[in-house]
Amino acid sequence: MSDVFRRTPMRATRRGVLGYSIAASSALALAACSGDGGDGEVDIEGQSTGAMEDFTADMQFTATEAFTLPLLWTDWPELPIKDSWQIFDEIEKRTNVKFDLTNVPFSDVEEKRSLLISAGDAPTVIPLIYTGDESSFVSSGAILPISDYVEHMPNFQKYVEEWDLGDMIENLKQADGKYYMVPGLQEVSVPVFTLIIRKDVFDAVGAGVPETWDDMREALLKIKQEYPDSRPLADGFESASLLNFASHAWGARAGWGFGNGMVDDGSGGLAYTAASAEYKEMVEFFRGLVEDGLVDTESFTADNDGSGGGSVAEKFANETVFAASGSAGTAIEFEQALVETVGEGNFEVLQIAPPGGPAGQQVEPRNFWNGFMLSSEITESEHFLATLQFLDWLYYNPDAREMLRWGVLDETYTKDADGNIEIDPDHSLKAFNINLDGTTDIQEDLGWSNNVFADSTESRTLKESYNTESFVAYMDTVLSTRTPRDPYPPAPLDELELERASLLATPLQDTVDTNTLKFILGERDIAEWDDYVSELEAQGLADYLDLINGARERFEEENS
Amino acid sequence: MVTETSAKNPTKPTGRVPRKQQETTGRRVFVAVNATLLVLLCVVMLYPFVTVLAQSFSSAGAINAGKVNLLPVDFNVDTYAAVMSNGTFWRNYGNTVLYTVVGTSIAMALTTTYAYVLSKKHLKGRNTLIGIAVFTMFFNGGLVPNYVLISSLGMTNTLWAIVLPNAVSVFNLLVMKSFFEHLPKDIEEAAQIDGLGWYGIFGRIVLPLSKAMIATMVLFYSVQYWNDWFLAFLYLDKTELFPVTLFLRNLIAGASTTTSEGAAATGSTTALLSTNIQAVTMILTVIPILCVYPFVQRYFVSGIMLGSVKG
Repeated sequence: MSDVFRRTPMRATRRGVLGYSIAASSALALAACSGDGGDGEVDIEGQSTGAMEDFTADMQFTATEAFTLPLLWTDWPELPIKDSWQIFDEIEKRTNVKFDLTNVPFSDVEEKRSLLISAGDAPTVIPLIYTGDESSFVSSGAILPISDYVEHMPNFQKYVEEWDLGDMIENLKQADGKYYMVPGLQEVSVPVFTLIIRKDVFDAVGAGVPETWDDMREALLKIKQEYPDSRPLADGFESASLLNFASHAWGARAGWGFGNGMVDDGSGGLAYTAASAEYKEMVEFFRGLVEDGLVDTESFTADNDGSGGGSVAEKFANETVFAASGSAGTAIEFEQALVETVGEGNFEVLQIAPPGGPAGQQVEPRNFWNGFMLSSEITESEHFLATLQFLDWLYYNPDAREMLRWGVLDETYTKDADGNIEIDPDHSLKAFNINLDGTTDIQEDLGWSNNVFADSTESRTLKESYNTESFVAYMDTVLSTRTPRDPYPPAPLDELELERASLLATPLQDTVDTNTLKFILGERDIAEWDDYVSELEAQGLADYLDLINGARERFEEENS
Repeated sequence: MVTETSAKNPTKPTGRVPRKQQETTGRRVFVAVNATLLVLLCVVMLYPFVTVLAQSFSSAGAINAGKVNLLPVDFNVDTYAAVMSNGTFWRNYGNTVLYTVVGTSIAMALTTTYAYVLSKKHLKGRNTLIGIAVFTMFFNGGLVPNYVLISSLGMTNTLWAIVLPNAVSVFNLLVMKSFFEHLPKDIEEAAQIDGLGWYGIFGRIVLPLSKAMIATMVLFYSVQYWNDWFLAFLYLDKTELFPVTLFLRNLIAGASTTTSEGAAATGSTTALLSTNIQAVTMILTVIPILCVYPFVQRYFVSGIMLGSVKG
């Protein structure tokens, strides 16, 4: 044994050299491959096998020659692909395009996606891309700069214009002035997560539905008087959800929405939100709530399983919590829990518009939903143009969107003259509590309304067709009484900057997250706020600001 | 003097007795502490398992309400029925069995032969062969180069991507090598004199003498293959090829990785996965490999070479 270990290091070095040279050469090979995709000298007209000559917006795409399209498919644990699924056959029937799936388990989808892209083995179509997901792949050249080709996507262009999303699309640009993903477009966008309240209790104590955070504070105080043992406000997502939608009322950014931590400083530049007076004011407000015993602090620190319901639903049911963050789904969970304890008909749960604050009645900026990226290998495919047309149809054509949500017209759903959609009596859509008596579920059994495609692009009508009346009412309230914040000024970083930014931003955000919670929970004296800001400065806040503002100025110059 | 001595003498035994008593008390304390510690350790190990077992027989409502601890609440076997009627689960389960059996067989064939060769000190280039193996303990190409390698060998989406990369565990190899080194040379020499060649010696003398070691290694390898999900995650792209561990991981980690707003929102539109389904899948997945332990355990403790050499 000792012999083994004595001799190893010598041999190791020799082989180490060999190993490193292999690794280096494969990296070079990858770089060489990836270079092909980025040079922009692509003859798309010559790669038009299967493409339609006169493809325009709102028309059915059917490939003139059938072809197969590799697709990265995420397997949701509760929604496995079944043999009975109709979706792939129906898409093929309508478009002559067959998908070749690469299945990735949802649990580790990001890792596998990175691996496949880095190894140059990614399928052509990479769906479920949210804005920002693409940044880390831009420099590798493995992803197609799709902005060079959107002229071949008439539906996309039409709805960007019709729904007034042009400025937001501009913000997708990376440091090289191109964008690498196309997002899911939303005709209207409302915060998915907001406050869920026990409306009957709010009414009973005479508080009504709070329109601002000050109203909310008063309401919580009244409830606390009525229910002394309660801690009426909770957040089942370690405070990240609450701070996210609340921060906009102060003009700050926090929690899930913290992003790169940058907000408009009012003079064209960017400022770090977590060191701002607005952020401090927000922290002080919640600190006040905690001091008055109005917050279920346990839910701020307890690990959650991602559902955010769990123990908060239990507290909701036991009337120790009366307002908590959540989505429409969380509201249903709370209702189910309340039926068990309070009894059906004895309560009213309401998803309310996020309360306003010092910055006005404003909510998060309008959002895109998930879209897709294309592997740059597509530039070598003879079906390049046809693929673009097909994806344009699939992601942005209203008929395609309706199909992806509801299935086949007159088979799984019907539509009246006014365009109102009704599910077929034999079918159900359990995920949205629709026609539970139906024998075949259009999602579980047929593959419609699946998470990979169905949520992406939605018109207001389509969104309203499957959501509950209460969610539609919530949407109407938000759209009529709140203004979306202006989008955060873009400051795209190049490859080196990106690396530096992540080195700087991660420790900064850790400090912010930890101390925000400490201040709110009263574990740190608010008088130490300046010390906290100095801590951020000691961690390179100034460098980070210079970096981002530099990128911001460059972007302004290049795009003005 | 005499009196002094005689006076001293009686003290000797009295001096010894307390020491003996001390030893016994010390030992008793040791045994008690030892037992307590081991029992505690046992409880710590068993508690989560028992809880999962109890959850697997309970209703989702009871679990979410935090009522299930050591005993099932709202006892039912519906979840078992539901999980067992899932086609993907069984298909993946079958894959796991296949990968484990094929993988363990290949691994055992490679490891035993490699280790046996390495145990012969007169072998030329022995140190190089050992070096090659040990090198891989400290260095590897990294994730992407490994992926590119397996992919260019055409092994992605095949059984080979799962069974070959870890077929020789260097740790197992070294343990086995030193075990073979300690087999008495006399037996092999005797066999040689009786006319057996190297393969005959290896197959008919060495292997039968190494049953305990082989059983242990089979256990190590089969547990490794049974539990592995990472290679499958890297190299397999088709759900029907996944092992059950990947199915399980998706079920459990998939339900708890919804930390971003987007993911949480999509999670909220679909039925959230119940804890009891996770529990049942866990139980069904670990039971077979758990059952192997009692059968192999005796080899862990049995004497290895008793009575094999006479005179």
